[in-house]
Amino acid sequence: MLGQQHKRSTTLMMVTTLLLLLFIVGCSNKESSSASSSASGDQASSAKSITMSWPRDIGTMNPHTYNPSQLFAQSMIYEPLISYQKDGKLEPALAESWTISDDGKVYTFKLRQGVKFSDGTPFNAEIVKKNFDSIMKNKKTHSWLGIIGVLDKIEVVDDRTFRMTLTEPYYPVLQDLSVVRPFRFLGAAGFPDDGDTSKGIKEPVGTGPWMLADYKQDEYAVFKRNPNYWGTAPAFDQITVKIIPDAETRVLAFEKGDLDLIYGEGVISLDAFQQLRENDKYVSELSDPVGTRDLLLNSSNPKLSDVRVRKALQQGFNKKAMVEGVTSGLEEPADTALSKNYPYTDVDLKPIEYNVEQSKALLDEAGWKMPAGGTVREKDGQKLEFELIFDKTDPIQKAMGETIQAEWSELGVKVNLTGLELTVQIKRLKANDFDLYFWYNYGAPYDPHSFINVVASPGFGISETLTALPMKKELDEQVHAALSSTDEKKRQELYTSILTTLQEQSAIVPISYVKKTAVYQKKIAKFVFPANRDENPFVGMQLSNP
Amino acid sequence: MIGYIGKRMIAIIPIVFIATLVTFGLIHISPVDPAEAYLTAAHIYPTPELLAEKRHEFGLDRPLFTQYVDTLKRIAQLDFGTSYLTNKPVIDEVMDKFPATAELALWSIIFSALVSIPLGILAAVYKNSWIDMVSRAISYFGASIPQFWLGYLLIFFFAVKLDWLPVEGRGSWENLVLPTLTLSMVMIALYTRMLRTSVLEQLQESYVQYARTRGIRERVIMLKHVLKIAITPFITGMGMTMGRLLTGTIIVEQVFSWPGFGRYFVEAIFNRDIPVIQCYVFISACLFIVCNLIVDLVQLYMDPRISAKGRAEH
Repeated sequence: MLGQQHKRSTTLMMVTTLLLLLFIVGCSNKESSSASSSASGDQASSAKSITMSWPRDIGTMNPHTYNPSQLFAQSMIYEPLISYQKDGKLEPALAESWTISDDGKVYTFKLRQGVKFSDGTPFNAEIVKKNFDSIMKNKKTHSWLGIIGVLDKIEVVDDRTFRMTLTEPYYPVLQDLSVVRPFRFLGAAGFPDDGDTSKGIKEPVGTGPWMLADYKQDEYAVFKRNPNYWGTAPAFDQITVKIIPDAETRVLAFEKGDLDLIYGEGVISLDAFQQLRENDKYVSELSDPVGTRDLLLNSSNPKLSDVRVRKALQQGFNKKAMVEGVTSGLEEPADTALSKNYPYTDVDLKPIEYNVEQSKALLDEAGWKMPAGGTVREKDGQKLEFELIFDKTDPIQKAMGETIQAEWSELGVKVNLTGLELTVQIKRLKANDFDLYFWYNYGAPYDPHSFINVVASPGFGISETLTALPMKKELDEQVHAALSSTDEKKRQELYTSILTTLQEQSAIVPISYVKKTAVYQKKIAKFVFPANRDENPFVGMQLSNP
Repeated sequence: MIGYIGKRMIAIIPIVFIATLVTFGLIHISPVDPAEAYLTAAHIYPTPELLAEKRHEFGLDRPLFTQYVDTLKRIAQLDFGTSYLTNKPVIDEVMDKFPATAELALWSIIFSALVSIPLGILAAVYKNSWIDMVSRAISYFGASIPQFWLGYLLIFFFAVKLDWLPVEGRGSWENLVLPTLTLSMVMIALYTRMLRTSVLEQLQESYVQYARTRGIRERVIMLKHVLKIAITPFITGMGMTMGRLLTGTIIVEQVFSWPGFGRYFVEAIFNRDIPVIQCYVFISACLFIVCNLIVDLVQLYMDPRISAKGRAEH
């Protein structure tokens, strides 16, 4: 009897648990299937829409905050006052024109007429100020951006005129205004009641060509054309972004035809890119350089403080063969720390060429001799041995590290490789606790001014790396002069001098130019890489006629 | 019975306590600062000023002991705070992810059971026949193939080449097929062999010989007697797997872009999103305990000898 009762209650328990689980699953299923059918129903099948993938969820679409919002998506909805174009040309966007006072401290912007937010409300100086005020409320969060430190006053002159006053001249103000965040504009309806956007926004209302129409976190986002857009309307009606975290799955989805476009940096493996490139069914393209992969030789390490040693190391490995071998042509061997497609960087710099014999001679000259029967050079009882730290999740860094290790061992230089988590790696860079380090510059529109800024400013690890350069003080002064210069010609001279010194000193060894990749179906007739590294790739995109 | 369940549920408290302590310890031993991880993920350079601000915002500038006590207090009230990354309440996000994982786990368990029970029995009854060979082949294959590779292979054949099923995502029943198959393969491999062995063991028992002598039909012996005992270890195994599956199947969720709990957790680890990690550990601990309890209850139901012992204890 007891046993029977016992069995019955156990059965009841089990059935209830199972039902509960099924209920949870059932509830959510309904919701997600209806949503995803709307996403998939409109996708690739329609000739006037584009489907692309992205590794991470697009985020909250707040124009003034960072994580977890994805830059490309923010740039679809929100626009800057000034837009960064090819070779660093600055073009009017929401500001039609601007004037700069002679002392370089007052910037006056004439706003474009007739611009409306996607909800139909007008874009004017008042809303520009509201956005600036909200951004400046959280000054600390944006302190990485130079303009934040010098911005003194923001004024509405009239409905169409907006004025900014700086505490001191700082030439890259316009470049800073063209970045994707934080200086982009949210419509009044998006602001929370207290006006502070740092905690969240009500809805993503922007002036850009696209509006967020449907969104399911970690699954997809659907953008539709903004009917109130002031510029040339996009050539298609809809963009669906599918969140696919796995690179191989992304390629399979593309091959199946679920995706029209794979775009970004490192979004597919080198092998997959090669394979797709060889397939005539698809088009694949590489952008101009968007950044440089450099190897930092820390001059504050006594062994690396001698320029002869640094030069010997740069000459001692076959960069061209390594870059081509490791990246299968996805990256281009670099001779200078900054590529020439930024403003002020088209400077004639003498490359430091691969030459093993000269490299060995330089090491001998610097006093690092190979002991009889030894494999590692020595000086004053010390071995010529370094640690190269790399991001352990980056297969390219690892492969390059191994190549350099092998080639330098021929010179009598020992390299120990240490793979680290990215955050730990950055921490060691900032603490100046490394010998050799793979470092990247920031790319457009942040460079070249951010690059020279970290050369001079402590706290980023780069200035520290350069401390043993005999002309470091002079270099820092040149950087400050360049950043605050109001004379275009003088600025160019200063840049030329700074870049020449850095090239000769060989503490920042250029390895390769990193490029963005785009692989797309032939349905896309025209594809243009954005000049601004963080912008979306849909401007200028054309579809072929069905 | 209720008392027994109650007692087992109370055991959740010390286990969760230990789990949170270990998690808290491990997070703080790690050299990665959550504020730094946040800024790195946001592509912002972690200046000292910014780091200090983020640490303050996350409450990481307080003494460790205070942080831990606060965490415990919050968890006791089932308040898991807000995610560092998304700034949304962790519990809302978890409730959003959990159904996807539960759906996948449930279907995988059902499918594995539907395949491995008949296959295991047939392999035992027709030992060394072709069906036994097939089951053995499936087991070797399932146990040795890496899950991500199987996932890619299935996608390649069934989604890309044959175009029968979608590559990834969640929504309709079609989306469920490939991830379920991928997840089930290893379970089918394991449980078929397990069941085969235990059925074979039971077939050697004297009660089977007696039953045969009494002229009871083979089918009746198998279904009414042998299976009832032979299936117990199978149920235990399934129950434990359920616990594991419900906490997310990281590889499968990644390969099939399944918006589940496992993917959410992995991202949280990379971002050192402490509130999410703590919530995950709490829920996982509870799920394991509940699944264990269910297994025990099922065994109690299936095997009267255990139930008698169970009662004797209370």
